[in-house]
Amino acid sequence: MAAGTEIAPSAAPLARPRTLLVGTAFATGAAVMFFGALFALYFSVRNDTLAWGAEWFPEGAIELKPGGSLMSTYAMATITMMWAHYASRNEDRIHGYLALGLTALLGVAAVNQTVFYFNDIGLPIDHSVATTLLYVIVGAHMVMTGIAVLWMGLVLLRAFGGQATGRHQDLVISVSIFWYAAVAVFTVIWLFIYVAK
Amino acid sequence: MTDTSLETVDATALERVVTSTDANTLGRYWLGAGSLALLASLVAGVLVALERLDLSGAEVFGSADEVFQFWSAHRVGLVLLAVVPILVGLGTAVAPRQVGTDTVAFPRMAAFSFWTWLLGAGTTITGFLIDGGLGAPDAGSQRQAVALTMVGLLMAIVGLLGATVSLLTTIVAGRVPGLTLRRIPLFSWTLLVSGTFWLLTLPVLAANTVLAYVDLRGRPAVRFGAEDAIWEQLSWAFTHPQVYAFALPLVGIAFDVVPVSVRSRLANHDVVLALTGALGVLGFGAYAQTFFDTPGTPIMREAIYVVDAFAAAVVALALVGGLADTLRRGAANLGGRPPAPMVLSVLSMLLLLGAGVAGALRAVDPLDLLGTSATGAQMTLTIGAALVGAMAGTLWWGDRIFGKSSSQGLGLLAGLAAVVGVLLVGAADLVSGFLGQADFTGASVAAAGSPDSGVDGLNAVALVGVVLVLVGALGWFANGIKRLTGAPAPADPWGGHTLEWADDPSSVEVTSERPLLDARQTEGASA
Repeated sequence: MAAGTEIAPSAAPLARPRTLLVGTAFATGAAVMFFGALFALYFSVRNDTLAWGAEWFPEGAIELKPGGSLMSTYAMATITMMWAHYASRNEDRIHGYLALGLTALLGVAAVNQTVFYFNDIGLPIDHSVATTLLYVIVGAHMVMTGIAVLWMGLVLLRAFGGQATGRHQDLVISVSIFWYAAVAVFTVIWLFIYVAK
Repeated sequence: MTDTSLETVDATALERVVTSTDANTLGRYWLGAGSLALLASLVAGVLVALERLDLSGAEVFGSADEVFQFWSAHRVGLVLLAVVPILVGLGTAVAPRQVGTDTVAFPRMAAFSFWTWLLGAGTTITGFLIDGGLGAPDAGSQRQAVALTMVGLLMAIVGLLGATVSLLTTIVAGRVPGLTLRRIPLFSWTLLVSGTFWLLTLPVLAANTVLAYVDLRGRPAVRFGAEDAIWEQLSWAFTHPQVYAFALPLVGIAFDVVPVSVRSRLANHDVVLALTGALGVLGFGAYAQTFFDTPGTPIMREAIYVVDAFAAAVVALALVGGLADTLRRGAANLGGRPPAPMVLSVLSMLLLLGAGVAGALRAVDPLDLLGTSATGAQMTLTIGAALVGAMAGTLWWGDRIFGKSSSQGLGLLAGLAAVVGVLLVGAADLVSGFLGQADFTGASVAAAGSPDSGVDGLNAVALVGVVLVLVGALGWFANGIKRLTGAPAPADPWGGHTLEWADDPSSVEVTSERPLLDARQTEGASA
């Protein structure tokens, strides 16, 4: 550039309507309400059952260790999702791929652990009101995790396809909002089902 | 209009229909399918009303369980398969234009949502027709058909949720510069408020349904899926206060239609924003489930429920007052023949006020109206108000949505028939409630709550009312069909104040909630 040439400041870019983020926030809110309803029913029915002096889960049926292992997996996946978010903000593709891939892998691992554990505990779904609620809550959360993993796969595909643009960053932030909600829901499951039974 | 369908390639008509993502087209689909479901729901309502003429046995149906299936089908159909989808359709076609855009956010998802809902609606209706439904008091339904009904209901809920996300995102993120949330037209505002509460409550209904479905599929059902318990845990969505959240857009329709009709500005725009927001909050009904009863005190007898009922009536009264004030200030501009949509939208607001009063009366413990037909009266008045509001909305925005004119006279007649019908059903059921008639009358006098003899006459009045609503719905549907072959409509037949009437919204400077009126007044002043 020739010395002394003045560069006119470019016009400020138009504020990009963050459609994807707004839509994700609404959809995530709806998903959280779904689990909120299930938890409210769980606590209400559990409270009534215990007030009658009846048993909720059979003694020793729900173990602490598998729940702790799952919580650790989700916690690690939260860190990797933060890493993906950070990499996307800095347009660091390699770290972005790695972080999203790892998060998706941890999501699959969580589903795998859950399936293995519930095949192992020997509690049929129609054993009692408690087990029906347990299976519905855990099953629905596996679906939520599955949707998040599929979404991450889509983001990865788009990134590999060369679409790591501003919109791509919105995609990463959107999937992270949904993922954090999934982890938050699991935290409630861990605390009140695996720990407090 | 942005359309990512196959129109540009060599596609068949069916392919074009199925793949269209145009907001206007999707809005028409919702309106058409919703009105068909409305007719089906009302036919079920007429059959149930016929059955109620003789409380001593099942004359029209074979058993109390069959009566129950049609009774519950009427309520579910009216709310989730008819009135809410019709309002979603009106919103999908109108709200994007009101905020200055020509398409909904996530158009493919919006299209997917419609088809999911349609498939769900068809499955739900099929489930009801093949001896399924949402359980029955004597467990006389076919379990597989009950499961099918619940799958259909879940699909319908998912479809409505998807459409709502698309609509709300359009309103929040698709607005033209200058159009702040305080300035968006009131129909879009009420869609934003009610849609938010649909997103907060429909997932709760979905959770109840999933739980019942999973339990029903077990052998035997433990609790949630027991056939005599399914309706109990889903019924909160079809009664006070949740029905207010479903009906709320009717307020926005009235407050968009009336000021334009009387050539006047709304003096209390911010107050209306706050009141509609409050009605949305009061309409959050997911807490009113029997599962949340404290031992000895049903949730419907708790203070929160009673306060909610009275507050809703007060808010409805305040909204009617605001509308009356606008009418009073613009009365001189009205002329001898007020526009049909204005008449209907004002009547829909009065019906909403009637619903508020019925809801408040029902919550008064000494009157002992909970569980009586006053419950049905409140639901009929609220959802009927929303239906009449939607009829007003389609007459008002129909020219813009369809590009063709329709008969305002036929539209008015149809709407008036619906108003009279809703009033007759609401009043008769409310009085029957005072006489002790149960909400679900079953097939014996004992099941009907051993009511006093006066209810026979009142049930006949209610039958006339449902028939009138059906006639009104048929007239409205016929007017819609007639519109498809009508003369081309003018771009702005009413002299609208808001962006949906502008040919190019991006060229309009938005400095208040009525930008087109501002532009006209500026032009008038400079001339």
